[in-house]
Amino acid sequence: MSEPREPLRRIVVAGSGQVALLTAIALRRALPATEVVLLAVAPQGPAFADFAATSLAFTASLHDRLGIDEERMIATAAASHRLSTRYFGWSSQDQRGLFAHGGWNGRAMRARFGRDWGGGPNIEGGERPAGSLAEVLTDVGRFALPPADRETPLSLIEYALRWNPPAYRALLVEHAGQLGIGHVQAPIETIERDGAGGIRGLNIQGLGWLEADLFVDCSGPAALLASALPDFATIDWSASLPTRRVFIAAAGEPMIALEDRITLLEEGWLIEQAGRDGLLTILGVGERTSDQAAIAALGTNPIAVMPVSPGRVAEPWQGNVIAIGDSSAQFEPLANLNLDLAHRQLDLLLEMLPGRGIEPLERAEYNRRAGLMMDTTRDLLAFHYATPRARRVFGEVEVPEAVQIALDQFVRRGRMPFHEESALLREEEMDLLGALGFERRMSPQEGSPDPGGVEAAQAEFATLANRALEAAPPYAEWIAAVTQPS
Amino acid sequence: MDRHAPLKVVVLGGGTAGWMTAASLAKLLPDRASVDLIESEDIGIIGVGEATLPHIRGFVERLGIREAEFMKATHATYKLGIDFRDFGRIGESYIHPFGSFGEELAGVGFHHYWLELQRRGEAAPLGEYSMCVAAALANRFQPPSQDLSLSSTYGYAYQFDATLFGPFMRQFGQSVGVTRHEGLVTNVERDGDTGNVTALLLNDGRRIEGDLFVDCSGFRSLLLGQELDEEWEDWSHWLPCDRAAAMPCTHATEDIRPYTTATAMPAGWRWQIPLQHRMGNGYVFSSAFTDEDAACEAIRSAAEGEPLADPRVLRFRPGRRRRSWSHNVVGVGLASGFLEPLESTSIYLAQMAITYLIELFPEPGGIEPADRDAFNQLVDMEYDRVRDFLILHYHATTRDDSEFWNHVRTMTVPDSLGDKLELWRKTGRIEKYSDGLFFDASWIAVYVGQGLLPQRHDSRTGMVDPERLKAAAERLRREIASEVSRMPGHREYLERETSRLAEAS
Repeated sequence: MSEPREPLRRIVVAGSGQVALLTAIALRRALPATEVVLLAVAPQGPAFADFAATSLAFTASLHDRLGIDEERMIATAAASHRLSTRYFGWSSQDQRGLFAHGGWNGRAMRARFGRDWGGGPNIEGGERPAGSLAEVLTDVGRFALPPADRETPLSLIEYALRWNPPAYRALLVEHAGQLGIGHVQAPIETIERDGAGGIRGLNIQGLGWLEADLFVDCSGPAALLASALPDFATIDWSASLPTRRVFIAAAGEPMIALEDRITLLEEGWLIEQAGRDGLLTILGVGERTSDQAAIAALGTNPIAVMPVSPGRVAEPWQGNVIAIGDSSAQFEPLANLNLDLAHRQLDLLLEMLPGRGIEPLERAEYNRRAGLMMDTTRDLLAFHYATPRARRVFGEVEVPEAVQIALDQFVRRGRMPFHEESALLREEEMDLLGALGFERRMSPQEGSPDPGGVEAAQAEFATLANRALEAAPPYAEWIAAVTQPS
Repeated sequence: MDRHAPLKVVVLGGGTAGWMTAASLAKLLPDRASVDLIESEDIGIIGVGEATLPHIRGFVERLGIREAEFMKATHATYKLGIDFRDFGRIGESYIHPFGSFGEELAGVGFHHYWLELQRRGEAAPLGEYSMCVAAALANRFQPPSQDLSLSSTYGYAYQFDATLFGPFMRQFGQSVGVTRHEGLVTNVERDGDTGNVTALLLNDGRRIEGDLFVDCSGFRSLLLGQELDEEWEDWSHWLPCDRAAAMPCTHATEDIRPYTTATAMPAGWRWQIPLQHRMGNGYVFSSAFTDEDAACEAIRSAAEGEPLADPRVLRFRPGRRRRSWSHNVVGVGLASGFLEPLESTSIYLAQMAITYLIELFPEPGGIEPADRDAFNQLVDMEYDRVRDFLILHYHATTRDDSEFWNHVRTMTVPDSLGDKLELWRKTGRIEKYSDGLFFDASWIAVYVGQGLLPQRHDSRTGMVDPERLKAAAERLRREIASEVSRMPGHREYLERETSRLAEAS
């Protein structure tokens, strides 16, 4: 006879940023009888997940499950929707490409692409036609959340949200308060280990002893709790990820757009992220670029310069301590992956929530899957540095084996190996490589397409795109309408 | 080499795997491959796998074959899963469905709630919370719906006559341009430098040249095994069955079951696969624990219905080649590996290899080692996952009534399976992957069905109000029962469209 596991009595979540807050909210909702204490230690160092103003599409579904209302984010946290990211200059100076959330539309469409355009940037015969609904809508700046009362092609669109981090954090704080999450704001004096690879309790300055069955470390790059454990070890990614400093400019003018832009300059990469609260500009550079050159490339004095030492913890779950977000992996904020990784790790923790007695094999299974999440995240970044121009800008780096295999298969065979636990769907990974300017050869089957089928798919897509355009108002008008005070 | 010249592919063997391979390459890569197939009327076809998995539908559809036409030609019936009898314990049975059990609630899998209800003595058998299981046991069938309702929570496959499937694929293959050669291979010519196979010599003196050779010669594995001597990884210590005694019978009942039955026997298990006009029967056994005569006698006395032929004994060994693609030879089907048909995976494994071969089909310039490695890695992953799942069926048992069951119950299992079992025992969780075969619901069906309950389940199940949980589960069970009662009978649905019925023989 199977017995329910004894519930966790108390969970301490260490951290005070948006990762810690959402983690505490999620755990509190999952375990209403468990005391959840937020130990609000301020993040130290480059906490890119905690300060992120955007994520990937997964966050929208997690928010939905956790009761974080998107309409409220639009109303109070300056949230806006991103359908695509436009890449400039990665394979060569004048190359451009578009990555759409959700990827391409279907096999038949891809076959048509393969035949007509070879999937690469060197197209003959004019502009490449849009490959997805997201691209069609991005190009004309039209989008709205799909209406609840009727079916439109807009419900097929995957999107990511951007927001104002302090306003989003305030929204989470309010939510956490409503859920009755305990809150402690004082430094940790000592960490007492439990002799089984984990933590028995913490001495908190001015408050005394704090025990818990489970500790979730969302404290940022310092990994305050995880790094205190006897078997703490890290894996260095710096040989594969060459960005060493990130320069952040003061917010620019408000900008409403369905796309963000990532441009490769001679100095490094430059992100221009649209936002209703202002355009966010971030520059990432390697060792070769001087501060002076970086500031010139940024075009303004930075409000912050952050060092990047990329790597991950070897085992994010040790004993009764689980590191999530910046405390588990550090890397540059290049492709909106920092917070996405934190949110997928949180989701994995919710799926595998332990009882009071933690089983070694559940830890191993969590570490296997979270490890895959982190490594595939590194690999998505590594694709960027494997482009011909990035190799000149940043210098040659060590290309992870999985990336070498994927690039070879994509370029030579037009296919993408399946990566378990990747942030992106296989179709999205292919879309990303296309946006970075990797030229994809036709897959064997695309070489022999059924012409009738291809024409039919083309016509079907055109119809769908027209219906989507009819259903979608200009995005700026839609935002203005939904944020109008009633 | 001419960029557009098609690669010359020679398929050796005209069984199910051979004709599936030849037909798929010819149909799906008409500009890339010219396909020759060598077969001999003197060599019998094993015709493994009369029962299939839902993936076959996509495979057949991709070739542009209509379901009704295919069903008519192969005397096919619909299949919703497999009924396993006497595996965990004599007298107990369960269905491994092509479908799910219940629904996740607040992020916790349904089976955790079921375990909680069961602890309180309030659970019906797990299968009653599965639309697929309930429909199967009621002998009812209709295709799943495309919406998000209960009727969308299952898939289906076919049960067909494998001796008719091969010829059907042969006819189709020839219609899409496969050239057939009748003959026996007497010699294999190879390139002195590369070791690649260059041509096959036939007994009438003909010489068939090729760029790529697909070995579908069955257990003989003429090219991959005999000629290239690719190492065989033997799995018989985990899967001791190495023979099958097959015997077709007439139907014994009016109903046609929309599922395959696998019944554990003292030295293995026997299958019952209902086709349109007859019942396929067979005893898969281990020659280390019983002999062929005894096995034939056992299937004769166990089979229901009138025998239509004497039992025929097939021999096999479980395992796979360490490399299924070596030099310019690709093994598909038995030439590459074998796993007993306990979970109807034989045709799937051949189709899987064909699908990957198409994805990685050599460029005109020659075979890239990276593509060969990618193929071999994918094939290994698929075989290894199926292997562990099969071993589970034998190992998760309390049977101690025969030497065979004592052996499999007490044997050491592969570490990869051992860890999965331990994780389940301690926490009720399933190791998760998204590639390959057999996901959560399949593992849960076998674990629970064979009486291997975990010691602990998710603590969150204890937080739902017991009365509400009980009521919700009961409501689901009633909705399923009511949906099933509105479905047509399997025979009724089959006969509704005469285009899918074979002529009465």
